[in-house]
Amino acid sequence: MNEDWSAEVDAIEERRSLARRMGGEAAVARQHANGRLTARVRVARLLDDGSFREVGSLAGRRDAEDRFVPNNQVVGRGRVDGRPVVVAADDFTIRGGSLDKSEFAKHVYPERFAHEFRLPLVRLVESGGGSLSGIESLGYSYVPDNPGWDDVVRNLATVPVVALALGPCGGIAAARVAASHYSVMVAKTSQVFAGGPPLVAQTGEQIDKESLGGSRVQTRNGTVTDVVGSEDEAFARAARFLSYLPQSVFETPARGETADDPQRRDDWLLGAVPRDPRKIYAMRRVIEAVVDTGSFFELGAEWGRSMITGLARLDGWPVAVMAEDCRYGGALTADAARKAEWFVDLAQTFHLPVVRLVDQPGIPIGSAAEQAGTMRHAVRALSAVHQATVPWCSVLVRRVFGVGGAAHTNAARAQFRYSWPSGRWGSLPTLGGVEAGFKARIEAAEDPEAERSRIADRLERLADPMRTAEAFGIEEMIDPRDTRPLLCEFANLAAPLRDRGPAAWGYRG
Amino acid sequence: MEICADLPAVVLELGVAVGDAVDAGQVVAVLESMKLEIPIETPASGTVTAVHVAVGETVDDGQVLVELGE
Repeated sequence: MNEDWSAEVDAIEERRSLARRMGGEAAVARQHANGRLTARVRVARLLDDGSFREVGSLAGRRDAEDRFVPNNQVVGRGRVDGRPVVVAADDFTIRGGSLDKSEFAKHVYPERFAHEFRLPLVRLVESGGGSLSGIESLGYSYVPDNPGWDDVVRNLATVPVVALALGPCGGIAAARVAASHYSVMVAKTSQVFAGGPPLVAQTGEQIDKESLGGSRVQTRNGTVTDVVGSEDEAFARAARFLSYLPQSVFETPARGETADDPQRRDDWLLGAVPRDPRKIYAMRRVIEAVVDTGSFFELGAEWGRSMITGLARLDGWPVAVMAEDCRYGGALTADAARKAEWFVDLAQTFHLPVVRLVDQPGIPIGSAAEQAGTMRHAVRALSAVHQATVPWCSVLVRRVFGVGGAAHTNAARAQFRYSWPSGRWGSLPTLGGVEAGFKARIEAAEDPEAERSRIADRLERLADPMRTAEAFGIEEMIDPRDTRPLLCEFANLAAPLRDRGPAAWGYRG
Repeated sequence: MEICADLPAVVLELGVAVGDAVDAGQVVAVLESMKLEIPIETPASGTVTAVHVAVGETVDDGQVLVELGE
């Protein structure tokens, strides 16, 4: 028999089988007892069956007894709904998934690979972050440099990055969650924080990990996009998010299947906006009535709640949808402005045409809004809208007031814009503006009260949107039921205009 | 169970008093923000054990409006 390499090949397989044991039976049992899956099961459930191709399965270190301990990140390629992706899963069963300095080469690899091969990256994060034991194994301390961070930042401007926080994520791990285009936590089993309760306790604050960095905290403040009830739901969300996006900025989002008629007209839309201007209505239902049935995928529902942001399809084409939620007033609050800036940048980065349904009462006034730094955040949102070059379509559903209202579009571009008959607009709402704008005239009048109401009546007549349309101040007024056919026309006209390539400025998270 | 304001607003109406039985989905208060009337519904049925705000009062996001017991 010829000598061959089967002994070495067997040794490779043996090493792989050691890696598959992860942190050992006891550590895996602890992971399960905490209600969480292991890194390898997560990878298998995220990816299409049998598609995982591991890289670095032989990597690890030797312990004091010269036994092999695998590297605590499972890395490789695979497919999600048939499309190739890169996956990096922290293994909490080995040293709590800590990203210590001695093994960082493998941790950096998936980031760099995703960038070079222009593939979406999915991080499955569960790690205490950096660790002091790294200093011990190195024999010296080091100036922190966030290994691989240059790749992390480049990826934000190049490929879709999804981060699923599936357990405690501290320090650099929390940063790897937030440095993404879409992040998801699992309620109760995942927490995200710069430092966990033991570190926080040393500052004098006693707090449990859920109160410190649970989903209620991190999805309300915008650090994490969404929360789900189970890890499997998180994997499904990751796949759904990616389905709207291209593989990288060097491609355009692919048209999806749709059975929905682009000419469909939903009769409910005719009465969707109450005639009484003080009554609210369900903007999400409006969105769902105009986009392809079942295609609306909301992002960030818990923060900046006066602004709804999400992905959807129109005649199969992926689009980015933004709309105010009057249930939360609809104003461009500091949070809503940060959300709008983030979302427009996301759309610009991945060539998603924007559909803007507008019911914007303006930037909130009053001392609380001033103290929140609202104007700076609003200006950043305005800049994002003005710098965006993706095709843009606006539908004025109800209110368009002030600086915040003007931010619904870049007025210097050719407008693809319609108003419903319920549209109302101006620098200020007529009611509040009379007092401020005509103060001298009202005070000088013999009967100030009569003068005030005379002015208000006249302004109210002038505010009729039909007069604006006569002056071509609004391009067209429409029957709300025609919205979907017109948006589908927009999506088809926009499709060939989606320029490939990196945006003029990089997405920053 | 606490039913809270979920945005900064002014209390426009209170639909319940201590001792009232309420059904899930019932409006317990109407808030005003950005000149809109925003009904606050109870997610669960129960009996009102406390009302913490008054009409005309300014409330913050997260402030307790009404408490329910079994």
